[in-house]
Amino acid sequence: MPDKEDPPAPRPRRVAHPLARFLIRRLLLAVLMAWGITLVTFVLTNLVPGDPVAANLGQRALGDPAIVAQWRAEHGLDKPLWQQYLIHLQGLVQGDLGTSQQSHRPVAQDLAEYVPATLELAGAAILVSLVLGVAFGVVAALRRDRLPDHALRVLSLVGISVPTFWLALVAFYVFFYRLQLTPGSGRVDAALGSAPPVTGLQTVDALLAGRWDIFSSAAGHLVTPALVLALYTIGLLTRFTRSAVLEVLGQDYVRAARAKGLPGRTILFRYVLRSALVPIITVAGLAFGSLLSGTVLVEAIFAWPGIGQYAYKSATTLDLPAVMGVGLVVGVVYLVINLIVDVLYGVIDPRVRLQ
Amino acid sequence: MATRSQTAAVLLAGALTLAACGSGGTSRTPASGGGKTLVIDTSFDLKTADPGRTYEPTGLIVGKAVYETLLTFDGADVTEPVPALAESYELAEDGKTLTLQLKQGATFADGSPVTADDVVFSLTRVRDMKGTPSFLLDGVEVAKTGDSTITLTSEAPNPALPYILPNPALGIINSKVAKQHGATADAQDKAEQYLNANSAGSGPYQIESFNLSSQVVLKSNPKYYGAKPAYDKVVIRNVEAATQKLNVQRGDSQVALNLSGDQVTGMPPTLQVKKTASANVIFLLANQDSAISRTTTNPKFVEAVRKGVDYAGLLELAGEGSTQAPGVIPSQLLGALPADQGAKRDVAGAKAALAAGGLSNPTVKLEYPTELTVNGLSFQPLAERIQANLKEVGITVDLQPAPVSTALDNYRNGKEEMGLWYWGPDYPDPSDYLAFLPGKTVGLRAGWKPGAAKEIEEAGEKAAAAIGDDARKEAFADVQTKLNASGPFIPLIQPSQNIVTAGSVTGLDYHPVWTVDVADLGVK
Repeated sequence: MPDKEDPPAPRPRRVAHPLARFLIRRLLLAVLMAWGITLVTFVLTNLVPGDPVAANLGQRALGDPAIVAQWRAEHGLDKPLWQQYLIHLQGLVQGDLGTSQQSHRPVAQDLAEYVPATLELAGAAILVSLVLGVAFGVVAALRRDRLPDHALRVLSLVGISVPTFWLALVAFYVFFYRLQLTPGSGRVDAALGSAPPVTGLQTVDALLAGRWDIFSSAAGHLVTPALVLALYTIGLLTRFTRSAVLEVLGQDYVRAARAKGLPGRTILFRYVLRSALVPIITVAGLAFGSLLSGTVLVEAIFAWPGIGQYAYKSATTLDLPAVMGVGLVVGVVYLVINLIVDVLYGVIDPRVRLQ
Repeated sequence: MATRSQTAAVLLAGALTLAACGSGGTSRTPASGGGKTLVIDTSFDLKTADPGRTYEPTGLIVGKAVYETLLTFDGADVTEPVPALAESYELAEDGKTLTLQLKQGATFADGSPVTADDVVFSLTRVRDMKGTPSFLLDGVEVAKTGDSTITLTSEAPNPALPYILPNPALGIINSKVAKQHGATADAQDKAEQYLNANSAGSGPYQIESFNLSSQVVLKSNPKYYGAKPAYDKVVIRNVEAATQKLNVQRGDSQVALNLSGDQVTGMPPTLQVKKTASANVIFLLANQDSAISRTTTNPKFVEAVRKGVDYAGLLELAGEGSTQAPGVIPSQLLGALPADQGAKRDVAGAKAALAAGGLSNPTVKLEYPTELTVNGLSFQPLAERIQANLKEVGITVDLQPAPVSTALDNYRNGKEEMGLWYWGPDYPDPSDYLAFLPGKTVGLRAGWKPGAAKEIEEAGEKAAAAIGDDARKEAFADVQTKLNASGPFIPLIQPSQNIVTAGSVTGLDYHPVWTVDVADLGVK
């Protein structure tokens, strides 16, 4: 809690309670939303034309009604849809996402293998876009209508408007093939193998295992896909930060701060950025959600073994439990990001706290 | 708050550094093996590593490396099966009994010997589990008739059997290990999950890790009784074709399997480019079921399409190394029609056929899978070219692309008015192509019911029963000539399989069944 900067009146201890209450309310709402997500993913996946039986069984087996019936029964497809949903829900409550029809493993186990790769990529992209996006935005605002501002405007326009898959291809071509700066496909050099999985994050696992060779290879492999993925968010954040900062710069209290001779850095960080953060966080939250859809394309181009590749494979083979699992994970990530954004509002803006 | 979080950050950074340094001492151990690694990039078509269920190109590469079959082929020559786990075989004169003698000294990866019981279990399992490859052994009885003698008996003459046995789907598994993990010789089998993560075979490689959508890592089998493969580790990665090209050019991978004709032009001389006509035959089908179409059932319509397609144009599209398919049987196989018997474009003849059939400006729907590629060639440009070709003849083609999973449904159920598909040999024997006859797998997909074309069906029966290379060659050529004259299929092209390898990789041959045998690859 940023108690120090707040108005002098000492706050009673119970101040934490409204936040706790707020958190509980939001969590309950999140559970409700998660339930909604399960319903939507279930209905959508079951509306898809095409029979999972035909996609999964061989020709001979398809010709044998006994085997088809057995397969349907095994995957619970012989029951009416509402019953299938209840069974699905019952499993979810117990942490069971069902069994993938392709890998024959629990979907949760599959996801545990793929999600960390995506988290690592998206996490790196989020980090990069927060740092660069906000920094660029501040620079553009402070150097308004001068060269840095114009240059950054072009960059953010490119970031927002260029399709991710095209950018991924071009970046791969330029940095990997032409300039030979970055490594190729995948998360790590194939010849190195990978560090024993602990967190699933290749860079962290490599560090934990003390394998510097794997760490530097994994970090190198992250650079291009993470930058490609981040470019859209960087563009967006640059634009929003710039306008938010400009707006605050024009406020009386900033002028007053300047007039009383506060150093520029203090004004920027204590006065300007703090107020500008609220709209920035709103945009960032939304943008990070969209990162996940970007990963599907980026993962395909960079052969990144993440949830995007899993989702694509599952969708094309009508592996419904897997598709629902992915839908749920993506939905939950959105929820979590939203929750974080809401809590951050409270932390940054005292006016929001008691609502 | 600021100070508190700063302190936390410093502590965390310190802890991380400590952790890294602390374990740094143990990092001296070299990376696993330290031997040669081969990286193969391919667009995955992979469902399983259980040989009894394997039927996809990527799965067959894995299966070939990890499991051994009774017979195999020498390099890319598919005209004569050679010994593998069986040291010899003999087909009885009536073509119904195949007797094989097992080689002595072959062992599984756990060191136990490969026995006749393993063979019987493995083969009956494939047949009775009814996975995709089970049809390979339809109507074949497997029996142990001596300590190391296996007898395969078929009800009807089955001269194709020696050509079927090399299929990696018929790899011999360690029955003891497999049974411990749920293997049974019926549809209740539960061993797939185990076999997806472990290998129970006698091949030169073992599975180190297996992932359906990203990569498969093979390590050499230390107990392999044969010659050690040149690479200790083989990494097969799922990579988009466009990226495959850049990876192999920069040396990030050594083999790229799915490049199109366009993509392999202008490769630097340091790389080896192998262009071989693949054994995949792309064809058009015209539905013969009058409930589906009144147009395509008209024999004159099929004739018009056959004469209307610009085969040379399709070849140009498919790139160097592709060839026209004169019949449904690809050029590598016994019984293939000579190249000069392929259909030729004859626009006037096509128009005349339409007129003779009483058809004026017919419109037909052409269905095809959108995202499927055959040897790097996608169906979309082919379909568009065919649409343009037939427009000149006076046929309006309404293109109906769909994702594979949906398009397959219609195709398999014989619901397509016209379809653009391909057929790859299940085993390199012409008898596989009897599937195109009325009432058979592909025939039914074209709405061609049993008894619809007596003459062709009789020719097919004769070909199925023919024994001896010359007699079979003649009989299958006859079947195709008749199919071309009045069947519902228009064979188009065999696209080129382009394989690009690093200069250091030797011994690569494109194989029509398993694409690449990784154990055959060497290092220069």
